Amino acid sequence: MATCTVSGVRLAGIASAVPDRVRTLASHAAVFGEAEVRKISESIGVKSRQVAFDGMCTSDICFAAADRLLNDLAWPRESVDALIFVSQTPDYVLPATSCCLQERLRLSKRCAAFDVGLGCSGHIYGLWIASSLLVGGGARRVLLLTGDTHSYICSPLDRSVALLFGDAGTATALEADGSAAPMTFVLGTDGSGRDALIMPAGLFRNPHTEETAIRTAGEDGNSRSAEDLFMNGAEIFAFTLREVPPLILAVLQGAGWSVDEVDAFVFHQANQFMLQHVARRLKLPKDKFILAMEEFGNTGSASVPVAMSARLAARLRSASLRTVLAGFGVGYSWGAVALTCGPMVMPDVLKVPGSVVGTVSSRSE
Amino acid sequence: MMTKREFLSELEEILETDPGALKGDERLTDLKGWNSLAVVSLIAMVDERLDTTLSPREIAKAGSIADIVRLLGDTIVP
Repeated sequence: MATCTVSGVRLAGIASAVPDRVRTLASHAAVFGEAEVRKISESIGVKSRQVAFDGMCTSDICFAAADRLLNDLAWPRESVDALIFVSQTPDYVLPATSCCLQERLRLSKRCAAFDVGLGCSGHIYGLWIASSLLVGGGARRVLLLTGDTHSYICSPLDRSVALLFGDAGTATALEADGSAAPMTFVLGTDGSGRDALIMPAGLFRNPHTEETAIRTAGEDGNSRSAEDLFMNGAEIFAFTLREVPPLILAVLQGAGWSVDEVDAFVFHQANQFMLQHVARRLKLPKDKFILAMEEFGNTGSASVPVAMSARLAARLRSASLRTVLAGFGVGYSWGAVALTCGPMVMPDVLKVPGSVVGTVSSRSE
Repeated sequence: MMTKREFLSELEEILETDPGALKGDERLTDLKGWNSLAVVSLIAMVDERLDTTLSPREIAKAGSIADIVRLLGDTIVP
């Protein structure tokens, strides 16, 4: 898709939440050895991250973020016209998790609600869909929820994923505002990369069998099942080198901004080594390049808003910033937006207690 | 462009082996520290120094350091 510009949409606020349960990388030393864990930790830039309490779903974390955001904004619940839930770890195959969240957040029955199944690029796609609904879809206020609970899908015996990912959920509020600065989007897809980041079995293409659930050691010494998340880190890195620098240059050009005119670059927090390499290639100033992996890990579609909440909240509460946000990975799918936002509602990152776990469907009790 | 010695020195740093330890004809699977992290570091180093993106599939097919040097063609000088 070509570059597209959306005018008349304002970001009203962002709230990010993580489970109040920290897992350090050091805790994996028993499996991989202390030296190996230290080496990986230094490379990926993660020291600890949060993992869901037993039974806690992505929707529970997103609920906490959304509930707080609606309260802080003082938006009447019935004023939300659409709810979008972007995740690859929904509550059920069906119904859509967004329907469950409509009821739980006490939103109006006149609220449109739907799920989007994207990961690393998910927040950018969500912003694009939400702003399109506000400009052409008749909505006045949209709530965008993004997040994932990777801890359920990563084999603890697979060093390529076990140390990298964290769990988080976020809420972003957008509303129609004729005076808002335009947003410029660039989006793309290359499905030939589907095998580089995938949970191969467990749904309809490769249904669950006894065999698909068995973890076996591969050539690389990592043990995983066909139902666990698989990541080919080298392929993902090569993809990022190929697609991300041109993506950033395209969105800057579309917005008519130079690097100097941007206040903050917030990329999907994929892997610190990779991010720093891309930043060097693009010659982005260090003080404008946001890194927030050390205490959160890679939180998938939540990582861009989590990084904003963790590193930019104070500035965004009081000032307007020119930001370039970008997401890229699983799919392959990617997107970037040049976005002027703030001042806006921006609480510090919320810690969600285990008591927030939602009700389990009565059929499974 | 870089010399073969420079390339080997970069590889020694990636593999955390002693300077001068690599001859250039070693089999990759015999190298201590040759793992996915090393592959990613190699791709990054080549991208930065030679402005070329090595494909992970090509690296996987390469048997030895000499094969990788061949992949880089005339960007590596003797």
